[in-house]
Amino acid sequence: MKVTIKEWNAVAAWRWDMPDDDVCGICRNPYDSTCSKCKYPGDECPLLLGECNHSFHMHCIFSWLKQESAQEKCPMCRQPFKSKDAVADDTEVQGDESGTALDTPA
Amino acid sequence: MFATKRLQKELIKLNEKLPPGITLVKADDLKEWLMDIQVMDDNPIYKDETYRLKFTFSGNYPIEAPEVVFTPVQTPSRPIPLHPHIYSNGIICLDMLAREGWSPVHNVESVCVSLQSMLTSNTKRERPEGDDKFVKYNTRRPKDINFVFHDNGV
Repeated sequence: MKVTIKEWNAVAAWRWDMPDDDVCGICRNPYDSTCSKCKYPGDECPLLLGECNHSFHMHCIFSWLKQESAQEKCPMCRQPFKSKDAVADDTEVQGDESGTALDTPA
Repeated sequence: MFATKRLQKELIKLNEKLPPGITLVKADDLKEWLMDIQVMDDNPIYKDETYRLKFTFSGNYPIEAPEVVFTPVQTPSRPIPLHPHIYSNGIICLDMLAREGWSPVHNVESVCVSLQSMLTSNTKRERPEGDDKFVKYNTRRPKDINFVFHDNGV
């Protein structure tokens, strides 16, 4: 028997390289899902890993850090929140002014 | 917005399972919830009593802290617990509920648990200093009051 493939569709699944079943501490949505404001997960709504190893949806942690009362601290451990460089490089911060503020020491 | 989705999630969890001594009384909307708390140990100040908490959420919750106050009810009996950091009008002085102490990883459950432990660990049958005056003259919302968190003992 000879089979001729006329057409095929490749399907791929993705997930962030994070522990299973973990949710963003701010919005409580899974990391693989979006923050409360976005529709599409993935590059549109990336994660940001802190030097303290706590991660959040980028939009969630930015909403928090914009607050004066946050004092630029991680919501989990209250250490100054700085993004880990490796992640920051992958994360393109588009048109968000708070992006640069993360790298400056508090 | 932020608050809606997060509160819906919390509500599902609260309906499933709650720590001992915490009950969901009313959550008809995503703006104001009522919770009952009890102290689970034998602290004689709070034994056999139940207290009602009113949570008020802004559209920016959990980035902004909820407003949390004790609210008195005649029947069933829900008094305002006697505590050196709880005013007789139900306003609570707790850093976690103020701007500087709040963190968006907290939630309704963790606030209730913190208040349970704040009561449990208390040994003084007293109101905060200046309670009479504060209750009489205060017109500010709890979040606009600049509490000074000086007492780490309770």
